[in-house]
Amino acid sequence: MYSLSWLILLLPLTGFLSLSWFGKRFPKLLGGWFACAMVGGAFLVTLLMLAQLYSESPADRLNHVQTLYPWIVSEGFSLNLSILIDPLSVFMLLIVTGVGFLIHVYSIGYMHHDKEFNRFFAYMNLFIFAMSVLVLAADFFFLIVGWALVGLASYLLIGFWTEKKSAVLAARKAFVMNVIGDVGMLIAAFMIFEHFGSLNYVDVFKAAPTAFFPNDDSILLITFLLLVGAFAKSAQIPLHTWLPDAMEGPTPVSALIHAATMVTAGVYLVARCNALFTMAPFTMYLIASVGVITAIVAGSIGMVQYDIKRVIAYSTMSQIGFMFLAVGVGVYSVGMFHLMTHAFFKALLFLGAGSVIHGMADEQDIRKMGGLRYAMPITFITFLIASLALAGFPLTAGFFSKEEIVMNAYHGQYGNFVFWGLAVIAVGMTGFYTFRLFFYTFMGKSRTPEAKPHESPLVMTAPLMILAGLSLLGGFLGPWVHSFLSPVFGGAVPMHHDDAMLEIIAVAAAMGGIIAAVAIYMTGKDQLAFAKQMLAPIYEALYNKYYIDEIYDFLIVKPVKAIGKFMEERAEKLGIDFSVDEVGRQVREVSRGISIWQSGKVRIYALNMVAGMVTILLFVIFM
Amino acid sequence: MGSEFVLFISAAIFSIGSVGFVIRKNPLVMFMSVELMLNAVNFLLIGYSSFLNSLDGQIFALIIMTVAAAEVVVGLAIILTIFRTRHELDVDRINTLKG
Amino acid sequence: MMEFLDQLWSFNLDRETVYGLFQQSLVFIIGMTAILASLGVILCASPIYSALYLIGNMVCLAMLFLLFNAEFLAVVQVVVYAGAVMILFLFIIALLGSKEEKRELSFQNFTALSFVGLLFGELLMSMMVGETKPVLGQVTPEVVQQVGSAKAIGIELFSNHIVPFELASLLLLVAAVGIISLAKFSYKPLRKRTRT
Repeated sequence: MYSLSWLILLLPLTGFLSLSWFGKRFPKLLGGWFACAMVGGAFLVTLLMLAQLYSESPADRLNHVQTLYPWIVSEGFSLNLSILIDPLSVFMLLIVTGVGFLIHVYSIGYMHHDKEFNRFFAYMNLFIFAMSVLVLAADFFFLIVGWALVGLASYLLIGFWTEKKSAVLAARKAFVMNVIGDVGMLIAAFMIFEHFGSLNYVDVFKAAPTAFFPNDDSILLITFLLLVGAFAKSAQIPLHTWLPDAMEGPTPVSALIHAATMVTAGVYLVARCNALFTMAPFTMYLIASVGVITAIVAGSIGMVQYDIKRVIAYSTMSQIGFMFLAVGVGVYSVGMFHLMTHAFFKALLFLGAGSVIHGMADEQDIRKMGGLRYAMPITFITFLIASLALAGFPLTAGFFSKEEIVMNAYHGQYGNFVFWGLAVIAVGMTGFYTFRLFFYTFMGKSRTPEAKPHESPLVMTAPLMILAGLSLLGGFLGPWVHSFLSPVFGGAVPMHHDDAMLEIIAVAAAMGGIIAAVAIYMTGKDQLAFAKQMLAPIYEALYNKYYIDEIYDFLIVKPVKAIGKFMEERAEKLGIDFSVDEVGRQVREVSRGISIWQSGKVRIYALNMVAGMVTILLFVIFM
Repeated sequence: MGSEFVLFISAAIFSIGSVGFVIRKNPLVMFMSVELMLNAVNFLLIGYSSFLNSLDGQIFALIIMTVAAAEVVVGLAIILTIFRTRHELDVDRINTLKG
Repeated sequence: MMEFLDQLWSFNLDRETVYGLFQQSLVFIIGMTAILASLGVILCASPIYSALYLIGNMVCLAMLFLLFNAEFLAVVQVVVYAGAVMILFLFIIALLGSKEEKRELSFQNFTALSFVGLLFGELLMSMMVGETKPVLGQVTPEVVQQVGSAKAIGIELFSNHIVPFELASLLLLVAAVGIISLAKFSYKPLRKRTRT
């Protein structure tokens, strides 16, 4: 039964191959529905796997390795083409294929006017395939393969509108940043192989607890290098700058890749390698610190941006920061839980934003929107639900997961008061920027009266409604998630901490953020101008994203360019070019000398033959 | 007067043929010299086939004659073609292949 | 002639010895003639004389073939070489005109002569190189006499050497096709190329 899981990989791959080969011959809509059917099929197979897992007792649900065939077999190293089915991968796949399916359906409406409709769906299917490889990999090798493939798909999709220069540049930036992470992953894989003699998850994780002392040098290095990959993929500080730029791609791409699935791969990696990370408490502190710092920094930048997609992008970074905080303090399943709820409401936010952009004829600046609640009622309601869930309004999905994170930031294994405090501040920021965005977009009066916003077609709003339902009710899945995933994380179910004090403060922070947004943006313009004036320097820094791009430009890009220029002028022209040319010149001189022998005269050739015969006979006679 | 004499005659004709090939400039005469060399070898083969009581040498000679005939025919056709295109027959001046 | 032979018998020389002597002296004389004819080939200034000397050389060799029990090959030699091939040569010479050639002893010719002299010396020396072990076959002259040279060669050719025979026929076919295409093709005269 588990062998059917290959279909999860095969179906999107089939979609990608057939759409990219025969894409031009497909009728337009058929190509889109075909791609949807492939992803939907993968989702159904995943459900089947889930049912299959449920037919076994929790302890038996681990390590169902499906080997297709041994790929590389050599002395001391063997690699199987195999995938791993366990609760964690199935859980992740449910999100990838489920949310992916909804976004595929949505894209049919959103990309309807695009000329290269089928190419878009080919790339989308490629992404689903790549993400499935990443999630289903049974060893670090295929993990890296999937890791690189999602980077490729992300690159292709960010730069999908190749005629847009900014999109192409953003795609390149994302790719380069991701490659930094890939290198880290690769070195980590080498080190893992050196220490364990194997790349299989099963072998490595079984051997990990006895192979190292806690905080051993090598385990710290391994986990740190894995983290480089995770941070680059998940856009955590300091490798985060590509994510806001990646918003240049089509909005469904942002929803699928840069909100729901790919960027959370880093969290998945940490959860998957929990056996390694548990051995390195220092790294855990690092994860939690980076996570909470990203949550705060990204949230603060998000408070002042005006591009609707960028605000959501910064909020994504911030929420992933929360996930890293959760796994960093040792409650992996809480992180995965937040990953799931975040996938629901953030995909919904992006799709709603896409719907808004669609309705506003490709306008992304929230200052030019406003008053859309009448024109786009379904989008308005679903967006409101998503905003509430993101802000952590009680009883929505985000409330449950985020509340658990904040509680565990204090009570968790590696939690402490600082993490908790910063997390609460970040929660407040979340409420603020979410509702700032919401009010700018939907409330008040329209700031561009000439725009004629219209509600999106059903093919776009239906996924919105489904996701809205999930965002409302997904929070109640929490206990199920924890018990389902607990075998992967050593059987531990995170305790529920009854600490009313902390809980009230966290909720109050979220509500405070919302109320602040209401106070500033609902009631009138005066407060806004006043607040801006008061906080001008901070505002500048925030609006320019703490000048991080500029710092990178100054620290890395400019020196590299200078070195490159120097190398081009000195090393290449005087060293390499000269030596290569000189070799050619010498060969030409020598062959000009030799070419005397090639006189073109038959008789001299004959004479040479005679001389040759004489020599050969000499050998025959005298040897 | 046994095999030594056969060897002597054939070696002499062979050497004369090779001298002719190298010192003459007329391609026709050079071809004749090649024929001389082939004939010298043929003679050697036939003489030794007689000494060794075997017909293999004669068969070999027969094949060589066939090859020589084919070679002469093609060679003469080529010489004719060269003459038609260049209107001269001095091999020293046909040096298009000079490097 | 018969009286001469009868006289020789009276000197107590048996028939075998006389035949041997007679054959050897014939081989010597004809061989020397062949060498002289071949010298004529390369030394004559005019190609037409060279061709005539070559015919002489080939006839001499045909006679030598006869003396070494190769009657069939002797006939082939005369028919194919002295007949067909040399006629072809003569035709070509007639077609192209036989221009006399200046003989000079240039440095190149001197080098050639010295190299070929070396070659000749080495060929002769190779006679003295250690004993080779001859493997005698079954086809003695008597056997050949019984069946006849042509038949013996035919049997050998079509039994043991059928593949080279067929390949030779293929080669002749290829040569025929080749010269036909060479002859049919029309050429533009090459412009004189000057190399820099």
